[in-house]
Amino acid sequence: MKGERLKGLFSPRSVAVIGASNNFGKLGYHVMKSLVEGGYSGGIYPVNPKGGEIWGIRSYPSLSEVPHPVDLAIIAVPAALVPPVLEECGRKGVKGVVMITAGFREIEASEGAELQERVREIADRWGLPIIGPNTFGFVNLPFGINATFTPEFSRMERGGVALVSQSGGFCHLSGFLAMKQGVGFSKVVGLGNRANVDFPEMLEYLGEDPDTKVIALYIEGIDEPRQLMDVARRLRGKKFVLAYKAGRGKKGDDASRFHTGSLAGNYRIWQGALRQAGILEVNSTEELLDTAKALSSSPLPHGRRMAVLSSQAGPGLIASDRVEDEGLELARFSPQTQRRINDILPPLAIRSNPVDTGPAWYDPGAIVRILEAVLDDEGTDGVLFLNMFASANLRLAQGVREYMEKREELRKPVIACFAFPPGVWDEEVRRMDRRKGFVVLPTPERAARAMANLWRMKLLLEDGSP
Amino acid sequence: MMEARLLLGLDALSFLGGKGFSILRTEFARDADEAVQAAWRLGFPVTLKVSSPDVLHKTELGGVKAKLRGEEEVREGFREIAEAFRARRPEGRFEGVLVQEQGDGVEVIVGTLLDGQFGPVLMFGLGGIFAEVLEDVTFRIIPIERKDARQMIRELKGYPLLAGARGIQVDLERLEDFLLKVSRLIEDNPQILEMDLNPVFLSRGEPLICDARMKMGGPQKAAP
Repeated sequence: MKGERLKGLFSPRSVAVIGASNNFGKLGYHVMKSLVEGGYSGGIYPVNPKGGEIWGIRSYPSLSEVPHPVDLAIIAVPAALVPPVLEECGRKGVKGVVMITAGFREIEASEGAELQERVREIADRWGLPIIGPNTFGFVNLPFGINATFTPEFSRMERGGVALVSQSGGFCHLSGFLAMKQGVGFSKVVGLGNRANVDFPEMLEYLGEDPDTKVIALYIEGIDEPRQLMDVARRLRGKKFVLAYKAGRGKKGDDASRFHTGSLAGNYRIWQGALRQAGILEVNSTEELLDTAKALSSSPLPHGRRMAVLSSQAGPGLIASDRVEDEGLELARFSPQTQRRINDILPPLAIRSNPVDTGPAWYDPGAIVRILEAVLDDEGTDGVLFLNMFASANLRLAQGVREYMEKREELRKPVIACFAFPPGVWDEEVRRMDRRKGFVVLPTPERAARAMANLWRMKLLLEDGSP
Repeated sequence: MMEARLLLGLDALSFLGGKGFSILRTEFARDADEAVQAAWRLGFPVTLKVSSPDVLHKTELGGVKAKLRGEEEVREGFREIAEAFRARRPEGRFEGVLVQEQGDGVEVIVGTLLDGQFGPVLMFGLGGIFAEVLEDVTFRIIPIERKDARQMIRELKGYPLLAGARGIQVDLERLEDFLLKVSRLIEDNPQILEMDLNPVFLSRGEPLICDARMKMGGPQKAAP
């Protein structure tokens, strides 16, 4: 099992920070801050030839002088110093390395690529897995380590999503958005230049990770995509895998005298290959986060028939349009369901699908009973549940939250939107989001997309077609 | 590595026929008389196609005459093809024409290529403008499984045409078999570097390859 060797790296009992610093202008300062303020409970050993205390912790002039075993070495020294430091890591028996140092394959000068090759050679000789170089690091939230130069990643919520990104920038972009949108993570990993740890090995490791349910990939380009496909195929039915492929540029080979050759852009082949491997492709940062969130917290729908409930008509219409655009259908309620709804709602608004729940504004209990009625309907596979605040329905979010707390786990996905002035429903929404299969997303359009992606994932896993 | 060479026309069709693919019955004719005799043997209507090592895209050159229903039309077709060739390729080598039984059904394109990153790749799409202008084609990495073949067919925007929207019945299971067979062909014959089967006619029976061209190379490195 190739993923095995990453266990010590991602769950280290002790960490050395080589290039640790008290100077805000050095990355080694921010790495120390992440470890200390992130509450890492293992041993922290700052390494700096100047000696003294760093972040209030005794430092050592070199790694070999640390009198304890070290599982993880975080390297943040200038590129030229990296080879001897890496040799020292090998001799010390370090289990894995995060190499934050930049100036390798990513730079224009050819020395960068040569240095990376040397690093890879040393690391392979010692059997050392390297995350990086040119990475911001990783966080392992359930384990409680923030091994990055961005302390704020410790504030991320815990959850079932592992984000593996070729770009540290993308982790920052999506990570901070995720904090605002209630996406919970098991791990966030910036692979950087991938000296010797690439997507396939990460996938192997995460395939065995009990904290991870969804693996979200941000891919720019990799050398051996077939290996990634092979591992992903083995994870089918075990983990959900989705990917955002960037760097789509350039289409086929215009010089090809064959039709096939001129039509085959690299990105077109990627699209086919991802689907073939059971990886769901997404097309934006929001879609990656929304879909990962829904997959980690919702049951998959058994069919494409959706109910749309909306506290005002317009957003319900938007959601209904999107349901159909996305290849889903609006459910037709059974006569019994329709009677249950009609008993609750006066004939003042649309009561079939979409259901305008507006007339029940003053009574959160009534809205909850409508939700329950459509969930009970055998002809409904999922619910888009839209709730716009109005002064008159102030208690709606509380009513829904209380209902969700009482009821059993949902067996069909409910993706909800709550629109409200800041400060009004935040706490109620936070308390019901991602619990018992209930997921909250910002807009009807994004809710419909995420619902469609749950359905697409279901089809992908069942060998069906889109 | 040996230099790549092209396999065109009857050579490509015969190669595929030898690998168990169904191809439209095709004969070579040097002149109009031979073309007429071939047409009688194949049965009208027939299609004539220019045969020359110097022509890769026959239609662009006026080198294809389809649905010829009698002796006169075959003679006239031959004359037009020969004239078009002389006008546009005065330096070229005109060998004659291929006389082919008239294909029928939905036209599709099936192709393969050797991608630098992914290795051998399979492409499938609807023929003619659907592939060339609308780029309604789909790709998979070779080898494919049956579910991949199913998805390739169903994810085309033009899928309704295969599902009978124009009243032409297509046996979709045989089409899946066909895609799987092309995938196996490339696995078993890595010397095929690039291949267009274009068009392939689909109807109720076995998919029929109408035209093919291949780039053959020496022993290649295995897929990455």
